[in-house]
Amino acid sequence: MADAHDAPRQEHQILDADGQAVRDRPWIIRTYSGHSTPKASNELYRSNLSKGQTGLSIAFDLPTQCGYDSDDPIARPEIGKVGVPVNSLDDMHILFDEIPIEKMNTSMTINGTAMWLLAMYVALARERGVELSELTGTTQNDLIKEYLARGTYIFPPQQSLRIIAEMYEFCLEEIPSWNASNICSYHLQEAAATPTQELAFALANAISLLDLLKERGHFTDEQFERSVGRISFFVNSGIRFVEEMCKMRAFGELWDEYTRDRFGVTNEKYRRFRYGVQVNSLGLTEAQPENNAWRILIETLGVTLSRDARARAVQLPAWNEALSLPRPWDQQWSLRLQQILAYETDLLEYPDLFEGSVVVESKVEALKNDAREEIDKILGMGGVIPAIESGYMKSALVRSMSERMSAINTGEQIVVGLNRWTDGIASPLLGGEDGGIFKVDESAARDTIASLERTRAERDPAKATAALDALRAAAHNGESMMEPSIECALARVTTGEWAGALREVFGEYRPATGVDGQQLGLQGDRVDALRARVAALAERLGHRPRIVVGKPGLDGHSNGAEVIAVSARHVGFDVIYSGIRLSPDEIVQSAVEEDADVIGASVLSGSHVELAEQLFEQLERHGASGSIDVVFGGIIPPDDVDKLTKIGVKKVFTPSDYELIDIMDSIVGVIEARSEATADVT
Amino acid sequence: MSDADLVEAALALDKYAVSQLITLFEDRRATAPARRAAVLAMLDSRGAESDGRIIGVTGTPGSGKSTLLSRITVDLLDADASLSIAVVAVDPSSHVSGGALLGDRTRMRFVPDERRLFFRSQASDSDLGGLGPSSFQVCRLLTRLFDCVMIETVGIGQSEADVRHLADRVYLVLQPLGGDEVQFLKAGIIEIPHAFILNKSDEPSAATSYHHLRSSMWLARPFDETEPPIFRTSAVTGEGVADLEADMLGCVRSNSAAGLVEREPYFLARWVEDEWGRSGRRFLVDVLGDAAQYLAMCGGYDAAQGRFGDDFTAGFRS
Repeated sequence: MADAHDAPRQEHQILDADGQAVRDRPWIIRTYSGHSTPKASNELYRSNLSKGQTGLSIAFDLPTQCGYDSDDPIARPEIGKVGVPVNSLDDMHILFDEIPIEKMNTSMTINGTAMWLLAMYVALARERGVELSELTGTTQNDLIKEYLARGTYIFPPQQSLRIIAEMYEFCLEEIPSWNASNICSYHLQEAAATPTQELAFALANAISLLDLLKERGHFTDEQFERSVGRISFFVNSGIRFVEEMCKMRAFGELWDEYTRDRFGVTNEKYRRFRYGVQVNSLGLTEAQPENNAWRILIETLGVTLSRDARARAVQLPAWNEALSLPRPWDQQWSLRLQQILAYETDLLEYPDLFEGSVVVESKVEALKNDAREEIDKILGMGGVIPAIESGYMKSALVRSMSERMSAINTGEQIVVGLNRWTDGIASPLLGGEDGGIFKVDESAARDTIASLERTRAERDPAKATAALDALRAAAHNGESMMEPSIECALARVTTGEWAGALREVFGEYRPATGVDGQQLGLQGDRVDALRARVAALAERLGHRPRIVVGKPGLDGHSNGAEVIAVSARHVGFDVIYSGIRLSPDEIVQSAVEEDADVIGASVLSGSHVELAEQLFEQLERHGASGSIDVVFGGIIPPDDVDKLTKIGVKKVFTPSDYELIDIMDSIVGVIEARSEATADVT
Repeated sequence: MSDADLVEAALALDKYAVSQLITLFEDRRATAPARRAAVLAMLDSRGAESDGRIIGVTGTPGSGKSTLLSRITVDLLDADASLSIAVVAVDPSSHVSGGALLGDRTRMRFVPDERRLFFRSQASDSDLGGLGPSSFQVCRLLTRLFDCVMIETVGIGQSEADVRHLADRVYLVLQPLGGDEVQFLKAGIIEIPHAFILNKSDEPSAATSYHHLRSSMWLARPFDETEPPIFRTSAVTGEGVADLEADMLGCVRSNSAAGLVEREPYFLARWVEDEWGRSGRRFLVDVLGDAAQYLAMCGGYDAAQGRFGDDFTAGFRS
């Protein structure tokens, strides 16, 4: 199969007997999936491919994404939860068992450890005797958006960009059909970016990357031009689908403009804006979850209707994403949506439907103008790295998120089933034996750790040590780390060892949180009333109520926690926001040293029960379990709410609790109840 | 837990006990001064005198104070197994809601179960930064428990002058070419510190900034007999950090005990003004002599705080 990202348009057309084009070939149809173990994921992939899926999109678990072995203490609650664990090349062999990688377009959602996963994929090909030039696919590998929204970065920005650049330099000649990275605006929209921010931040990111490739001087002019052609994008598509379609046209036109004018790319082919899509999850609701099926369909139209701005690959979320990770059936239902749109409808029989539309053109122009202004601002700061390090981009996103939440809270932005038409008949889709949600088999983690131990026992330790030493030396001396990483993979070095060696050389990064100086637009009687209650509580306690907000575990989607931190200050709390990727020990130690009244923990990875247990163990150890309350927020299924309550969690907030003032009201209530109970005793 | 139990546990640097006692020293309720006096008496009877040194570290947001302190505290504790350090980081509060975002923890390195290192955030209760109303109170406790108390403040201007009254040694952290030099000259803040830290010295503009700073000293600080030290540091490369650590350690080990009792008049006057406004301050000076005299009359800081309200209202009536 030709790489759809690369093929000229004609190859995208299906011809009749006379060689006349009758319709376009459909985009690559994928489902983002992976869970439990390499073996279970392999079975899932083979089943998806047999159902007509045309590419793979691999979800890795958080320890793999953050560079930890499965038996690392921080990894344990997360093994196999949001994706597949891959500890070594042995796991890669199982993951791709009976899947012909030379024929597969494989997309890997991997960032901090992207070079490592690519190295293992290359090593797999070498051991299987597959030519590297036959490999096609993508490593996501966009660290900028990790710092801004997704949180699975490991190293500081400079070093992260060096890794990305080295991958481009390796891939261009060795694996010419591989996209070394995918510039992501997807996650920015999940963090509530406006269309202008999505356009500007993603393009500024790509421009800064090309600036760097040029500056490093490894490429001849001809090679550089081809490397521009290797830049691809991963985009989001939201519910305002007309604007989204215009956004995609603006993306294409702006990219053409910048690659031509700034980088002097003469070959039109290398200026083409190539992108894949996952449609929006942020707008999916836990309330009346069946409505999400329509939302997903409409969002898909935004990126498929216009031929000139059509996605090269599409993957869809599942209707129940706000409830839990999707089951295979849920994913199949989303897959069928794509197949119906691509094969049943007449969409692919027409040229661009919007060419010449005055309305569309003027909207596209407006978006382009706003985006150019913002891009100039970022480039004026010296590019994306300074804009990340100063917290500029992060603050802009946290502001957008606060504005979005305010608009939903006031009803200005209508969300059906959530803040309008909220009464409805209960969904029969949630009635099955499993309650409509997916659960990871508990034995999976044991199997993963057992296979990791086997790898460690069976490998040649001297070879593994030598490979790691060579990697460290390359990192230190500024030589390319790609070949040493491949040698590490072949020597059965593990994921945690690879990342650990580079952590030693590069250090670990803690980015700006973006919550400083943020204001919430919420005003009114309820805010005033709540502030009065907080003030009264402060009088009674002798101090302002203190809340420690943090994200235990490896999940880095920090938007929810940040909005809670900003809201709590808005109503008068002293807030200790301790950031992401914390062990339960760290959060509890913060709460203990700060003498917090309450801990607010946010977990989206599905590990809430294990993490709550660990939090309470730690509180117990410090003798604080009777005096510091705990509340949880996240994607938490109803059954688990009971489990958390039994462990001792006082309140659990799920996506249906979107009213910030209600959440704050409830947290203030928890502290009030405690302060009254203590007053009774003394 | 009773206060006596808390004191016992805090002497062993149990984190939750120390933390709950800090809360007592921040407590603004009328019942608090008496409890504080009792706790201090218990500590005194156990020989825990307020002989810990106070180091002030101040500078604009983004100058890298927290990252630098994180590194320094860990280094100092590694080098000396008997040393203990408490860090108090003060952040500005919102003037609208009164709430604050206390964010410095994200920059501190987490050392699990290390009792010799304690970190506490504090809200300044003002938009401008500077010390919080209870920073002095908390130091009365912490200097009895720890060898060294580091107070980290964010400040823009005269709110920083307080630090000089509290700390034995004050460091001002600057970053290269932040335009900081000019700003601090204007605000008079350059007069405050005992020593300067030019952080992020790995950045290319650092050398220029260093010379700017050096050359502006004689103008801004005519009172210096010897030029104050300027430490050029980088938390990234570790450059210059050892010299700075040695300087701080010199302060911690020095015998010239100023003692917190000497600082009580200043902070009592400040507290009176915070709580009772300018008329309170005038009453303290005009009617009660001054803060030092009033402290002597009451027999201590807590007693003075406990009585002032009554004396003030009585004074108004008569």
